[in-house]
Amino acid sequence: MTDGLRLRGVHLSRGAITALRGIDLVVRRGELLVVLGPSGAGKSSLLRAIAGLDPVSGGTVAIGGRDVTALRPGQRNVSMVFQSYSLLPHLTVADNIAFGHRIRGADRRVAAARAAQAAATVGCADLLGRRPHQLSGGERQRVALARVLVREPDVFLLDEPLANLDAALRTRMRTEIRAVHDRLGTTTVYVTHDQSEAMALGDRIAVLRDGRIEQVDTPDEVWHRPRTRYVASFVGGPGMNLLPGVGPLRRPGVEATAVELGVRPEHVTLSSGISPVGPLGEVERVEVLGEDALVHLLVGGHPVIARVPAHTRPTPGDRVSVSVAEEHLHAFDTVTGERIPLPAEAAVR
Amino acid sequence: MNRDRRQLVLMLLPYLIGLVVLVLLPAAATMAMAFTETDLIATSRLIGVANFVELTRDPAVGAAVGNSLSYLMFSVPLRLVIAVGLALLLHRRARGAGTARAAVLLPGAVPELAYGLMWLWLLNPIQGPVNQLLMLGGQGGRTAFGTLPPQWLTDPEDARAGIVLMSLFTIGETFVIVLTARLALPPEAYELAELEGARAGQVLRRVTLPLLAPVLAVLVLRDTLMSLQASFVPTLVVTNGGPPPYATTYLSLVLYQDAFEYLRYGYAAAVAALMLGLTAVAVLIQWRLLRRWASHGVVGVGAQRPGN
Amino acid sequence: MSWHDFAALRRRRTYGAVAVTAIFASPLLLLLAGSLREPGDPPVVAPPLIPDDPGLTAYQQAITHGDLVRAAANSMIVAAVGVPLSLLVASLAGFALTQLPRRITSAVLGLSVLALMVPATALLLPRFVLFRTLHLTDTLVPLIAPALIATSPLYPLVYYLAFRAIPADSYDECRLADLTPMQTWRRMALPQVRPVTAGLAALTFVLTWSNLLDPMVYLYDRATFTLPLALRALAAMDPHNQPVFLAGAVLTTLPTLLVIGVAQRRFMHSYGPEGAS
Repeated sequence: MTDGLRLRGVHLSRGAITALRGIDLVVRRGELLVVLGPSGAGKSSLLRAIAGLDPVSGGTVAIGGRDVTALRPGQRNVSMVFQSYSLLPHLTVADNIAFGHRIRGADRRVAAARAAQAAATVGCADLLGRRPHQLSGGERQRVALARVLVREPDVFLLDEPLANLDAALRTRMRTEIRAVHDRLGTTTVYVTHDQSEAMALGDRIAVLRDGRIEQVDTPDEVWHRPRTRYVASFVGGPGMNLLPGVGPLRRPGVEATAVELGVRPEHVTLSSGISPVGPLGEVERVEVLGEDALVHLLVGGHPVIARVPAHTRPTPGDRVSVSVAEEHLHAFDTVTGERIPLPAEAAVR
Repeated sequence: MNRDRRQLVLMLLPYLIGLVVLVLLPAAATMAMAFTETDLIATSRLIGVANFVELTRDPAVGAAVGNSLSYLMFSVPLRLVIAVGLALLLHRRARGAGTARAAVLLPGAVPELAYGLMWLWLLNPIQGPVNQLLMLGGQGGRTAFGTLPPQWLTDPEDARAGIVLMSLFTIGETFVIVLTARLALPPEAYELAELEGARAGQVLRRVTLPLLAPVLAVLVLRDTLMSLQASFVPTLVVTNGGPPPYATTYLSLVLYQDAFEYLRYGYAAAVAALMLGLTAVAVLIQWRLLRRWASHGVVGVGAQRPGN
Repeated sequence: MSWHDFAALRRRRTYGAVAVTAIFASPLLLLLAGSLREPGDPPVVAPPLIPDDPGLTAYQQAITHGDLVRAAANSMIVAAVGVPLSLLVASLAGFALTQLPRRITSAVLGLSVLALMVPATALLLPRFVLFRTLHLTDTLVPLIAPALIATSPLYPLVYYLAFRAIPADSYDECRLADLTPMQTWRRMALPQVRPVTAGLAALTFVLTWSNLLDPMVYLYDRATFTLPLALRALAAMDPHNQPVFLAGAVLTTLPTLLVIGVAQRRFMHSYGPEGAS
C-alpha cells in the first residue's frame, strides 16, 4: 500500500526568509496528521508547499505515490480550507461549495446536487441559499469544510480552520471534523498552534519548529516520550517543568556535558506534612482552573508549576514539600536538547 | 461636548459656504433663468417654457444630444475596459511596472488646453503623427491595408472617433482606483481558484471581475457624470464643434456658445437644465441597475473596497 | 517551462509594462518632438517625426509672443494660494463629517453628490454675475474661489472615507485625552492619511493649473492671464505655426507632470503580491 503523502528533504525559501529547512514526512493513506507549532514555525508554508501554492526550493512532494513536485496546484488533486475560509462574497453558499466543480466544467445541476450532498455531510444544508455575509463564524467554517468535501481529493489540507471560532464552538467543531474524517477516511493534514486541539484530533502529531520537524508520533508518544526538550515544553498546558540537572553524564550510548530534568505539572506531588518527602518549595501564586489548580512554586530558586486538585491546593506563602515519582522524570541533553532515555540513576544523584 | 460640536460645525463651514454660494445658489439661479429671456442689455423677462420649446427645434441641440449619447456609449465602456486591463497587467511586481504605472498617469496630467492642442497636431490629417504612423508601409497616402487614413478633422465620423480616442488616454484616475482595488483583493480567493486548476480566463470571470464589481459600478457612474462635461475643451480647441454643421457639437459646447458667444443667457440656462436632466436620468438608470444587481448579489455586500 | 518559472513570468510582465509605457508616453514625446521643430517653415506633407534640426527657437517665440512668463507667475499665485486652501477646506470638512451626527453628514454628502452632477458650464453665468457685482473680474480671486468647494466636491468625500477608515479606538483615545476636534484632526487624523493628502494635492494642483473655463470667463486684461489662457491666445494668434503653440503646450504641461511624478511615488508605492499566477 502506497503512502498518502510523502515529503522528502523539502526546502522552501522566499527571498531572504527560509520557511522550511529539510522536511521529511510521511502521512499514511487515510491518516489525520496534525502539524503543531508556534506561529512562524512554518506550518502554513508546509501546507502551501504540499498544495503547490509556493514552489519548493528543494526536495520532492509525492501524493499517493505520484511525484507532484513539478505540477501546478490545480493538477495535484488536493483541497484546502484557509484560515480565513476564503468564501467568495458574490456567490451563494451553494455556488461557493460548487465552485471547484464549476471551474472543472461540471454541469450546473450535477455540481449543485454534489454541493447539497456535501453541505448535508457537515450539517449546513439549510444555508445553501444564503450568502457569506449572512453567516456566523461557525457557519462559514462549515461551508468552507463542505467546499473541501465536495470533491474527492487525494489530500485534505486544513490551515488552522478553527482559529477564528470561540472556545465552545471550537471544541464542538473539532469533534465533528474528526467524525467526518472517520467517515470519509481521506488523508488529511491539519495545521494548528493549539496543542490540545492537536492531541484531541490527530492520529499522529508532527511538531514543527523553525522550519524543521522535531518529532512525529502519536499523541501518547508525544506526551509521554517527547523527543526534545522543545517538544516537552511546547506540548501540555502548561508545558513540562525543566530544571537544570547535573552533568556531565556518561554511560553507554550517552554522552552529555550537562543534563536537564523535566517533569510535567500533572506529575508534581505537593505535601504539607511535617515530615518532608522531598525538597521544600515556596508557593508564590495559585491559579484555580475549576477542578484543578496551578501552583507556581520556587524550588531551590527555580520556578516549578504543579497541577493539583483544587481542593488540595496550598495558599501563597506556604512552604510545601515537592516530590516526583521516578517513572515520571524525563532527562534532556542541555546542549543538543535531545531526550536521554531514563532510568538513569546517575542523573538524579 | 457643546464646545466640540461648535468646533466641528466651524470646520465644516467653509466647505458648506462654498457649496451654497458657488454651486447650489448658482445652479438654482440657472434653473430660474431657464424660464426667462435674459441678455446683458435688456432686463430679463419671464417667458415660461418658450426656451424649452425652442430647444426641441434647435438643430444644434438635437445633434448635440445625439453626439453626447454616442460619446457616452463608446467612451465610458472603452475607458473602463482599458483601465481594468492595465490595472490587471500592472498590479504585480515586475521590472518596468512602476514606470508603466506612472506613464499611464501622464496624459491625464496634461492641462486640458495643452492636451487639446497636442491632439490638434497629432490628428492633423496630413502632417499629424497619427496618420503618419497609420500610413507606414502604405503607398501613395494610403495605409498598409490600402485604405485611406482617417480624415480626423473633416469627416464627421472620424472626428467623433477622434474625440473618443482623445478620451482613452486620460484614464489615470480610473486606473489608480482599479489598481488599488485589485491590490486589496484577498490572495486566498486566487489560491482557491488555483487549487481547483482554474485557467486565467476563469479566474478573471469568476473571481476578479465579480470581486471588483462594486468598484467598477461606481466608476461607471462617475465616468458617465464626467463624460457629459469632459468633451468640452477638446471640442472647443480641436474641432470647434465641426466639421460643420454639428459633427462634434456636444451639449457643453452649445451651452458655452449660447451663453458667451451669442449672449443668450436664458436660452443657455435652458440647455444647462437639459444637461442636468440628462445627467440625472443617466445616474438614475445606473443606480437602479446597481440596486437590482446588489439585490441579486452580483455586486456590493461584503466585497472589498479600495483603500481610498 | 515549469509552472513556477517566475523569471519567465516576470519577463513577460516586463514586456507588457514596456508596451504600456510606450503607448502612454508617445503622445507626450510626439508633442515634444513637434515643439523642437523650426517655427515658420512652410507646411510640408508628412514632416519627419523627429525633426532633422531640433532647436529651441519655438520656445523663445512662444515665451515672448505669448507673454508666458507673466502668465506663469499668475498661474503660480493661483496655485500657491488655491491648492493649500483647497486641501485645508477638504480635510477639515471631511473630518467634521466623520464626527458630526449622521443626519448632518448624510445631508452634506447628498449635497456634494448633487454638486458633482451639476455641469461646470451651467454655473459660469451666475458666478460671473456674482463676481462682477463684487468687482472681482479681471482679478485672480474668482480663480482661487473654487478652493472653497475644495476644487471638486469629490475631495471632501475622499477625506471623509479616509478619516472613517481610521479605527474608532484612535478617536476614543483622543477623546479620553480631552483633545478638541481641531487637535484630533491635526495631531492624530491628518498624519495618518498622508498618502491621501499627497494624491489629492497632486490632483488639486493639476485641476487648478489646467483651469481654462474660469479664466476664459473672468479675465479680459492680458496682465491677469493665466498660463492656459495665454496659451489659447498664442494658439489663436497663428494657428498654423504649430511648433510655437506646441512649445507653449510643453511649457504649460511641465509643472503638472513634475507634480504628478513626485506624488505618484508617494501614493502608488504599494506593490502587489509577487509570485503565484
